[in-house]
Amino acid sequence: MKISINTLRFINKHYQASGELAPDGLEALAMRIGMQLGAIEEMIDVGSKYTGVLVVRIVSCEQHPNADRLHVCKIDDGGKTTNVRRDEAGHIQVVCGAPNVRADMRAVWLAPGVTVPNTYGKEPFVLEARELRGQTSNGMMASLKELGLGESHDGILEVDAEIAPGTPFAEAYNLLGDYVLDIENKMFTHRPDCFGFLGVAREIAGIQRQPYHSPAWYRVDPRFPEREADELALTVRNEIPELVPRFTAVVLSDVQVGPSPVWLQIALHKLGLRSINNVVDYTNFFMLETGQPLHAYDYDKVKAQDDHAEHATLVIRKPKSQEKILLLNGKEIEPRADAIMIATENRLIGLGGVMGGNDTEVDGQTKNVIIECATFDMYSIRRTSMTHGLFTDAVTRFNKGQSPLQNLAVLAKIVEEVRQFAGGKVASAVIDDNHLDAEILARKSLHPAIILDTAFINDRLGLHLGAEEIKVLLENVEFDVALEGTSLTITAPFWRTDIEIPEDVVEEVGRLYGYDKLPLDLPRRAIMPAGKDELLECKARLREALSRAGANEVLTYSFVHGDLLDKVGQDRKHAFRLSNALSPDLQYYRLSLLPSLLEKIHPNAKAGYGEFALFEIGKTHELIARDAHDVPLESNNVAAVYADATGDRAGAAYYDMRALLSYVMDQFGLALECRPLNHHVDAVDAPFELKRAASIGVLGSEESFGVIGEFTGNVCQDLKLPRRTAGFELKLDTLMRHRGVATQYVAQSRFPRVEQDICLRVTSEMPYQQLFNFMIQTLEDSRPKDVTITLNPVDIYQRAEDAAHKQITLRVSAISYERTLTDAEVARLLEHAASAAHVALLAGRV
Amino acid sequence: MNYENQRIQGVRDVLLSAERFDALQDKSEVLKAAELKALFDELKGLAPAERPSFGKQLNQLKQELTAAIESAYAARPEAAPLDVTAPFDMNVPAGKRPRLLPSEYGGKHPLMQELEQVLDIFYRMGFSATESRELDDEYHMFTSLNFPEGHPARDDYDTFMTVERDPSGKQYIAPAHTSTMQHRVLQKHREGLEAGRPIAVVIPGRVFRNEDLDARHEHTFYQLEGVYVDKGVHAGHLIATLKAFLQEYYGKELEVKTQPFYFPFTEPSFEFALSCPFCNKKGCNVCSYSGWIELLGCGMIHPNVLAMAGIDPTVYTGFAWGGGIERLVMMKYNVEDIRHFESARLEFLRQFV
Repeated sequence: MKISINTLRFINKHYQASGELAPDGLEALAMRIGMQLGAIEEMIDVGSKYTGVLVVRIVSCEQHPNADRLHVCKIDDGGKTTNVRRDEAGHIQVVCGAPNVRADMRAVWLAPGVTVPNTYGKEPFVLEARELRGQTSNGMMASLKELGLGESHDGILEVDAEIAPGTPFAEAYNLLGDYVLDIENKMFTHRPDCFGFLGVAREIAGIQRQPYHSPAWYRVDPRFPEREADELALTVRNEIPELVPRFTAVVLSDVQVGPSPVWLQIALHKLGLRSINNVVDYTNFFMLETGQPLHAYDYDKVKAQDDHAEHATLVIRKPKSQEKILLLNGKEIEPRADAIMIATENRLIGLGGVMGGNDTEVDGQTKNVIIECATFDMYSIRRTSMTHGLFTDAVTRFNKGQSPLQNLAVLAKIVEEVRQFAGGKVASAVIDDNHLDAEILARKSLHPAIILDTAFINDRLGLHLGAEEIKVLLENVEFDVALEGTSLTITAPFWRTDIEIPEDVVEEVGRLYGYDKLPLDLPRRAIMPAGKDELLECKARLREALSRAGANEVLTYSFVHGDLLDKVGQDRKHAFRLSNALSPDLQYYRLSLLPSLLEKIHPNAKAGYGEFALFEIGKTHELIARDAHDVPLESNNVAAVYADATGDRAGAAYYDMRALLSYVMDQFGLALECRPLNHHVDAVDAPFELKRAASIGVLGSEESFGVIGEFTGNVCQDLKLPRRTAGFELKLDTLMRHRGVATQYVAQSRFPRVEQDICLRVTSEMPYQQLFNFMIQTLEDSRPKDVTITLNPVDIYQRAEDAAHKQITLRVSAISYERTLTDAEVARLLEHAASAAHVALLAGRV
Repeated sequence: MNYENQRIQGVRDVLLSAERFDALQDKSEVLKAAELKALFDELKGLAPAERPSFGKQLNQLKQELTAAIESAYAARPEAAPLDVTAPFDMNVPAGKRPRLLPSEYGGKHPLMQELEQVLDIFYRMGFSATESRELDDEYHMFTSLNFPEGHPARDDYDTFMTVERDPSGKQYIAPAHTSTMQHRVLQKHREGLEAGRPIAVVIPGRVFRNEDLDARHEHTFYQLEGVYVDKGVHAGHLIATLKAFLQEYYGKELEVKTQPFYFPFTEPSFEFALSCPFCNKKGCNVCSYSGWIELLGCGMIHPNVLAMAGIDPTVYTGFAWGGGIERLVMMKYNVEDIRHFESARLEFLRQFV
């Protein structure tokens, strides 16, 4: 929301609404606005660029002797300018090429040495005295464009004749020291009244503890003049009162449509609005002043839409199928089915509250106008605006939900202005199609009065305000407050839409008092420890373990391309799908984390990373899973990939991944057990090559935690994976259910440890784990009570000439807590285990 | 394949040699080799008579290289079964067996590092934590947070929604803020509150906005939400709590200020700003020379939000706040582009130790 400081000052003074806008200076005011009204995004100096720019009278205007299109003028600057050549009469010569230049007009002069205002702050263009075809021109006469106040370059600006020559232009048009403040719109989401100068000026008074008095015309029940011309009848038929709770309109005849007065053009331009003509400009100005958008139609054009109609009709309805409308911006649209339309009996003529139609526009030929002042459903306006990409000043205001109690006031004011300044006469009855509750109208406030105690307010703000103090704060912004002891009965003024519950009053009081004055106390609470969250703790621990093991944590999007699901063999039909995805890349909720990680291997390998591991901890979603409350189940997973393209390593990448996983499981006090995987069971295992993948388990439990392994040929090829790539993914809820104690301490012995190796030859098909488990079990069963045995792999070897067998070498480490063990004793234990293995597993000792 | 033209044959032999081709990470790079480009340049300068034959052979070379790229990606050992129960592969010498990658390679994601630090401070302040959801329903995301029916946030211009619908026929939602957990947290701790234990919970999580990507905007980012409810909680408590957190986080005294704001689920609502900790209010790049940084949205929890969770708003009051994690990291390290965070590029990630 943009406001001009000088426009606000003018309004306050003109309406005698309040005292000086910024009694402590502009900087102090800006600070206060930031703290108590809304963040200031920008503060633009609009006054400084008019330094030295003067209003002058053109005394004479002669044809230039050497140029058809130029005139040589003598101007009167009231003698204000120094260092300029004057003739005997004290006048200054300026050459001007504008078609509208003539003697005796008041115009704006840019003297030598003055910077052309529209170049101010860019590449400044400083004027000088120079020859134009043999005639000296001291500076130049200015158009709106050079003044930075419009696009019009057709001629120089003619200003009001009452202004004395030599008056600074900025002074004449209230630009002296003017700033435009842009206050963040989000602050006013619930404050439609602050989209008007009156609303902002009122708040500025309130936060400076000054009373504000809205102008007398701003009232629920204004008076309109009686009809004063031949009747131009208007009928309004509202077919959608649920979307248009109030629609007011009146017809004015014999309006003199023409250019706006200069002050109005300037006032609009400062705030980014283009001047169209006086009627449209007045409606726009009063929109800026009150926050209430208005619309003007050409009465005769409206009437002409319906053949042989005797009067104009406005129908408020939704569009019919395939109906189209040509808008004021020249674009034809087919409005969305639920849009609020303004129509005649036969045709659409406006997109209600968003943009008018081209066919009923007020233009230079217009004599009679219909002025509309209505309230439209804010959500409908927003949807229409978004659907058709139309963002107008009316939309900005209507989509905040303007109070329907101000429609008549603003209509009456615009009628008064147009009658006075554009010569219109009231030519119809005032139409007020009103669907508001009688209660609201009687109360003159949108919501019932709020009754509360000062304690309610003070408790929520940490303050100790007295009832009288609160009353004054609220009355400053025109609330009606009745006191009874410490009880307050508060009625919001008619323009406030946001005061419904006692907490809304708390907000109002806190803000007007100043949040910067609240006591900064920390809450007090018992010193009981706060609870831990198991999931977050588990994630932190995983993150710690994986990163310590050399893996890099990555975060990738929760949404993936359908093609990726296809590539890794997952079923799109099981994935939640976004209905409004930004692109196909982000269309599906992911079914597992691994595919996202696999996608990130190639770019990193290409960037020169030879051997690396990536991991991600995240959530996955599957369409079939719902929890008891019917929200989709979320699975918390961890996934990792290992990739190696260095050529330095050997063997299957599976084992590298397994080493990492084994380390991580150790950190959770779990002994990893990888079990062969026979068939695909879910989305997580889809990308894996079953022959080279395993189900992740732990010693002592049947449950599967997830999958580890290498990927299918298709996955490797499609995602350009290095030959040595593997990964795993597991579910955290299983991990959390099983976690044990990470550290298993074994007491130290005073006696030496004995180590011996044993090599066994078994068939190639026999799983390593089977032999290992058999050996450890046998050793455990046969060891003396005082001896502790550990068993570790040393080598797995297959002779080139014997593919049917492999040799597994294990190292036995034995220690006693009571005595020194002999080599012979340990050798006997091994001998025993070897012969048992021979019997049970046909293993031969090598 | 053999080529009549000696130069083409020579380039072919070099490009497909073990030293060149096998060493390529990305085999398709071979098509960008300077030698190949030189041959194509040569073609342009040839006499018309020589061109057809040279051109034909050059095309054949290109086809051969393309085929080599394809078979390099496809050439994988026939999926031989592995003994998945073994600790390492057969016949791999001890020096080349699996070992963990060097610890200095590894690292936590910078956002997660920061989040852990932030959580640690709140733990010390007596808050517990719970994670937010990434797929939720309309009730938790909007209704329970006092968003009126028809509120713009409810339509899909700002929020991602799924094709699938909940049992009441509403589309599921990719939460746009961690506040989607407020109702659950309030409900879960209601009994404790009534037994005299204030609700003090922070909620970290991943959230989503229907927003085009650029250096400053991500559709996916991280937020931390906080909720505090007890008897007699007032707006001063809110400001003091956030100030205490920020001073601890930045390890220095700070000034704070609030600006009025609007959220449907808090009343009053604020935007919370702190004096720039990087320049101590003197003005710098990070604070755009304003001396202040707007960091959080916050406010007193709206009575309707408390009431919907079964907490009597005439007895209990509370505050809530929410802020982004990316912003903290970007300001701390001068990260210039928010898209780096979800890029999974090691070049970026390994800078954060």
